[in-house]
Amino acid sequence: MGKPTGFIEYLRELPIDRAPSQRIGDWKEFHPHLEEKRLRQQGARCMDCGVPFCHTGTLISGMASGCPINNLIPEWNDLVFRGLWREALDRLHMTNNFPEFTGRVCPAPCEGSCVLGINDPPVTIKNIEAEIADRAWEEGWVLPEAPKARTGKRVAVIGSGPAGLAAAEQLNRAGHLVTVLERDDRPGGLLMYGIPNMKLDKRSVVMRRLEVMEQSGIKFVCNANVGDNVEAQLLLRDFDATVLCTGATQPRDLALEGRGLAGVHFAMDYLTASTKALLDGGPDQSPLHARGKDVVVIGGGDTGTDCVGTAMRQGCRSLLQLEIMARPPLERAADNPWPEWPKVYKLDYGQEEAAAKFGADPRTYLTTVKKFVGDADGKLAAVVTVQVKWERNDKGQFAPVEVPGTEQQRPAQLALLAMGFLGPEQPLLDDLGVECDPRSNVRAEHGRFATNLTGVFAAGDCRRGQSLVVWAINEGRGAARECDRFLMGRSALP
Amino acid sequence: MMRVCHLNTCPAGIATQDPRLREKFKGKPEHVVNFMRFVAEELRELMAELGFRTVEEMVGRVDRLEPRQAIDHWKAKGLDFSNLLYSPEVDPDWGRYCQDEQDHGLDRSLDVTELLDLCAPAIERGEDVVAELPIRNVNRVVGTITGSEITRRHGAKGLPEDTIRLHFRGSAGQSFGAFIPPGMSLSLEGDANDYVGKGLSGGKIAVFPPREATFTAEDNIIVGNVALYGATGGEAFIRGLAGERFAVRNSGTNAVVEGVGDHACEYMTGGRVVVLGPTGRNFAAGMSGGIAYVLDEVGDFASRVNGQMVSLERLEDAAEIAEVRRLVERHLEHTSSSRARQVLGAWDDLLPKFVKVIPRDYQRMLAAIARAEEQGLVGDEAVMMAFEENARDLSRVGGN
Repeated sequence: MGKPTGFIEYLRELPIDRAPSQRIGDWKEFHPHLEEKRLRQQGARCMDCGVPFCHTGTLISGMASGCPINNLIPEWNDLVFRGLWREALDRLHMTNNFPEFTGRVCPAPCEGSCVLGINDPPVTIKNIEAEIADRAWEEGWVLPEAPKARTGKRVAVIGSGPAGLAAAEQLNRAGHLVTVLERDDRPGGLLMYGIPNMKLDKRSVVMRRLEVMEQSGIKFVCNANVGDNVEAQLLLRDFDATVLCTGATQPRDLALEGRGLAGVHFAMDYLTASTKALLDGGPDQSPLHARGKDVVVIGGGDTGTDCVGTAMRQGCRSLLQLEIMARPPLERAADNPWPEWPKVYKLDYGQEEAAAKFGADPRTYLTTVKKFVGDADGKLAAVVTVQVKWERNDKGQFAPVEVPGTEQQRPAQLALLAMGFLGPEQPLLDDLGVECDPRSNVRAEHGRFATNLTGVFAAGDCRRGQSLVVWAINEGRGAARECDRFLMGRSALP
Repeated sequence: MMRVCHLNTCPAGIATQDPRLREKFKGKPEHVVNFMRFVAEELRELMAELGFRTVEEMVGRVDRLEPRQAIDHWKAKGLDFSNLLYSPEVDPDWGRYCQDEQDHGLDRSLDVTELLDLCAPAIERGEDVVAELPIRNVNRVVGTITGSEITRRHGAKGLPEDTIRLHFRGSAGQSFGAFIPPGMSLSLEGDANDYVGKGLSGGKIAVFPPREATFTAEDNIIVGNVALYGATGGEAFIRGLAGERFAVRNSGTNAVVEGVGDHACEYMTGGRVVVLGPTGRNFAAGMSGGIAYVLDEVGDFASRVNGQMVSLERLEDAAEIAEVRRLVERHLEHTSSSRARQVLGAWDDLLPKFVKVIPRDYQRMLAAIARAEEQGLVGDEAVMMAFEENARDLSRVGGN
């Protein structure tokens, strides 16, 4: 913005990641920082668009286009160009509670809708966000914020993933006493156990934020599984309001022969076990370790990639990742124009590492599993894969159809199911008496976030279905505002 | 999306001359065809919905407009649109849209009634035509149709200078000599309305008072407003004062005048304008090319200049001095101007009082082109090298 010709003068530049062969030897993050001068040049590439799309956060064909939390991207790009880091942080925190998380894990729909991206590589928005946030922490600018006055109202937030944390922080700012209930042994939800350490460092990034939140007055209670060891109805009675942020944790399963064999696991169980072992001091102690095994990851999404990266670090013997869809094109297809989310081929960190070690991208497209083959002890020994083609079924929907004669048996001692999530787990919702929609998500309108129960709100994946961290933050913030309005009759929260 | 059309940084390669940006242009003519087809299709759908077969049928049908229900904006909700959407009584025999073609009266114009026949030998055979005619203020666009015939036959190069010499006596109507091409020289002994030499395209115009006039020419207005608007070439000599907006958007004509009103040389991009007397305010606003020379005997001209894009200098370069002097000499030759005679008579004394008005970017480009030419480049190559040298200069008036 400050430099209208920046996009002509500077090329897109990201810091060069640590070499794959080196980084698979540890669990540390692998994106280094870019030196300040070059970061400012990257900020200068932002073009001062009359109508920027990067911060719009709309859905086009069901995919996010632009930032779902409406980050003031052109403004902080400009502030970074000018070297005004503190001001950049303030602008960033206005819309985003946790820029150090999103700057690491967001797939960056902002960059997909960047106007510069129409015919040039877009601005490195995600990296600039991460750099603003990291610098702010280093400089000590992120401090606990205790509210000036307490309202005396008590709010329970169930679930401590990104939606729950955003809701908790906003409600605490409004002066309510917030208790976050987490069923796991550590708070953070997907941020803690769903995303591996090398992508989002647990101690230096996640816990750092959680500590500041605690110091701001938010109470975290772990091992509190509402509906199990915490009585759901009691909770509704003890708190003035409740925000449900339990996520869409019901994984999609494969009802195939051999599914019950030892060695066939859901991706999330695998990733959780790995991170838990790492944090408990013994990364090699994970009960679902891939060391020396032939690993098959079923699913080509971000969770699948995280499984690949984790298995690489655990020292798997071979790795195969199955993607049921066709390999996407290298550039946007004609039916996927800007500013839609670009459906293009990407070599993510996990595949890059597998390629560095085994010589090739581990992904096989248009392929799925037909059955799991066990050995005499009931342990997984191989998977039988089959190629598919996509055809319209009698309802007019595209559906995969197996191609006869393409079955192939491949050795495997560990198979990980990373095929997405179906919705929230139902028992808690039943216990509370919360109504769901036909997709099994909690019924609550986006923008109001109110469930059928008075004083009970829902936000994040449990309301919307599996989605991005940014949508979770968007919903957590929105639900906090509505909850505050319910409690006080009005709300100053954004 | 960008709204930077004025900065020469259009990232889509549309509103720019920069070859690096133009390379980024991804459009195709077919896209425009598609767009227009969709617009037409949508219009048809809306018309079908409303029961109209033609656009004409829809003209004036305010009864078919539906006010939007959702006007609950605090500022908009008190508005009463009924007067705006008033539908007058229309007799079934009348039309609601224009059905009678406007008669511009071209058949009765001086060009059609006299000049075309008069100039036929020149247009057809290139013979010299010299004539004297009376003119009245009902004679508008005198010379334009004749000029268009010359262009039609001979192209933009027109005819050799002074092939047609027409001398008019009287008071000319609007747009005297508009768009006339090379080879046409019109002189007017009398005065003229607005738009003298509008779009002048290579022809020559001289305006001066009658010989028997008793007033002082340089103290009296002789041509109206917006003379030489959008002129692209040729010459104009005005003995006397011009009204407002003289030589606005001039891109190539050389003109001499003895005084001008407000906003002279606004948005000018080329050509030379010599003013031998007073000027109004806002001189050279948005002027990005060409040069004006103003004889500022009082010494207060600078206060009436819009200095956003131009700088004021002395007239010092010998070649340039000779060029200005030549223009004043031609002015004398064509109009017998006493002011010109006086200026030439006291040339050395008055020379320091000439103020040269030159756009800053234009000056830098001229200098850069001269440097490129010294290096042996010619034509477009020299221009492109100068462009490259200046495109990213932060001191550009464009601001980046």
